[in-house]
Amino acid sequence: MGKNKVKLDFFKLVKREIRIMLKNFSIIYSFSTFFVIASLIFVFSVNDISYVKIFYKSIVWIVLIFSIMLVSENFLNDDFKDGSLKELQFLGFSEESIIVSKSIAMWVMIMIPMLFLVPLVFVFFQITLHELISLLINLFLATPSLTLISILSSLFSVQLKRNKIIQFVIILPFFVPMIIFTTSTGTLFESYNLNENQFLILIGIFFITLPVCLLAGKLIMREINK
Amino acid sequence: MIFNLANPLRFQRLIEKIEPITLNIAIILLLVGLFFCFFGSPPDYLQGETVRIMYIHVPCAWFSLMIYSIIALCSIFSIVFKHTLADLISRSCAPIGACFTLATLLSGSIWGKPTWGTWWVWDARLTSELVLLVIYLGLIIINNAYEDKSKADRYSSILAIIGIINLPIIKWSVDWWSTLHQPASISKFSSPSIDPSMLLPLFIMTFSFFFFFISILLVRVRGEIIQRKIEVIRFNRMV
Repeated sequence: MGKNKVKLDFFKLVKREIRIMLKNFSIIYSFSTFFVIASLIFVFSVNDISYVKIFYKSIVWIVLIFSIMLVSENFLNDDFKDGSLKELQFLGFSEESIIVSKSIAMWVMIMIPMLFLVPLVFVFFQITLHELISLLINLFLATPSLTLISILSSLFSVQLKRNKIIQFVIILPFFVPMIIFTTSTGTLFESYNLNENQFLILIGIFFITLPVCLLAGKLIMREINK
Repeated sequence: MIFNLANPLRFQRLIEKIEPITLNIAIILLLVGLFFCFFGSPPDYLQGETVRIMYIHVPCAWFSLMIYSIIALCSIFSIVFKHTLADLISRSCAPIGACFTLATLLSGSIWGKPTWGTWWVWDARLTSELVLLVIYLGLIIINNAYEDKSKADRYSSILAIIGIINLPIIKWSVDWWSTLHQPASISKFSSPSIDPSMLLPLFIMTFSFFFFFISILLVRVRGEIIQRKIEVIRFNRMV
């Protein structure tokens, strides 16, 4: 009975987060617009499209990281300012469940729609269907870790009154291993060395990121509410 | 003994006694070490005179990792016991660690140009060391970003704990991936594959850097203690 209640409460929390995201539709809209425009800028900046075809994965990843960083700044700020972050904790929700629910909402409402925008890149960058599928699988498997890291970065910046750029400086090094592995697994996939182990690396990264982000997030949230 | 010294004021008194001694030892060892580096050790049969950069590069690399380990240890101590001295040490260590990491990368680049033919390669060891520098910079930034110093200390502790992941990557990157950077030759379990005539100056330089690090750390910790005292006095006056 108790377990069911906890489950129910957690789903309520996720539902709440998704509802908030839907109300603040401008976040999803600005993220998607930034993603498309920034990708386009890369195409305009090079004269020869063949260069873009070589670097399309790096371009997509860089644009994705910057766009998610821009969005994540507001993600926890509102909850912190109106006191609902504190209130949720008073209601008995654990810090972990708050972080996981926010991550799920962010992934469902921002990352999944972004996957639908990726085929646009397929048109702009003139990549093959095989490359597109590889990119989509890559993004699908790597974005949960990306979401968790960005939640952590927004937690770091919640109490910063000025100079929000710090959040980028703090968290960017943690994207380095992700970028290395995601782009390299994609390359292996495209060279037809199809082996599920390459994608298991991305799932492995997620299982490293999850406990680290939960532990760090919990410590930060406790510090925020002091 | 340790808990007795954990009091910042007692620690400050101890610093005043040992700081000049450590600095003097560091200077003497540095002079002896430099003599051995330039005159007391032979050039390498393959690398020639450029091997002498190793006497600075290797200790700097060791200390870049060691200082981060100290920061991480202090951070864990700070989160568990909430002790001010642990915060002060980790806050003081960050810029020193960043300098050692920068020195590692710069000396490595200077050595890399004549040996590898390039200033920089995106090798696993070099990349992970660069990431370490960025983490150090992040720690320095976070230490200065918050108005409330205790909050800044807590956040930088959390960041330092997350950054521990990078330490084993740096250490074993040369074994896990096929890198241009050579694998461990001194800290091998069997026996070091380096000639004793080169090992001696390397160890002297390492000890010199160690005492130098200790003396700089003590000066910085003393500075931090004094700064916090001033802040308390200012706050009391305002009240």
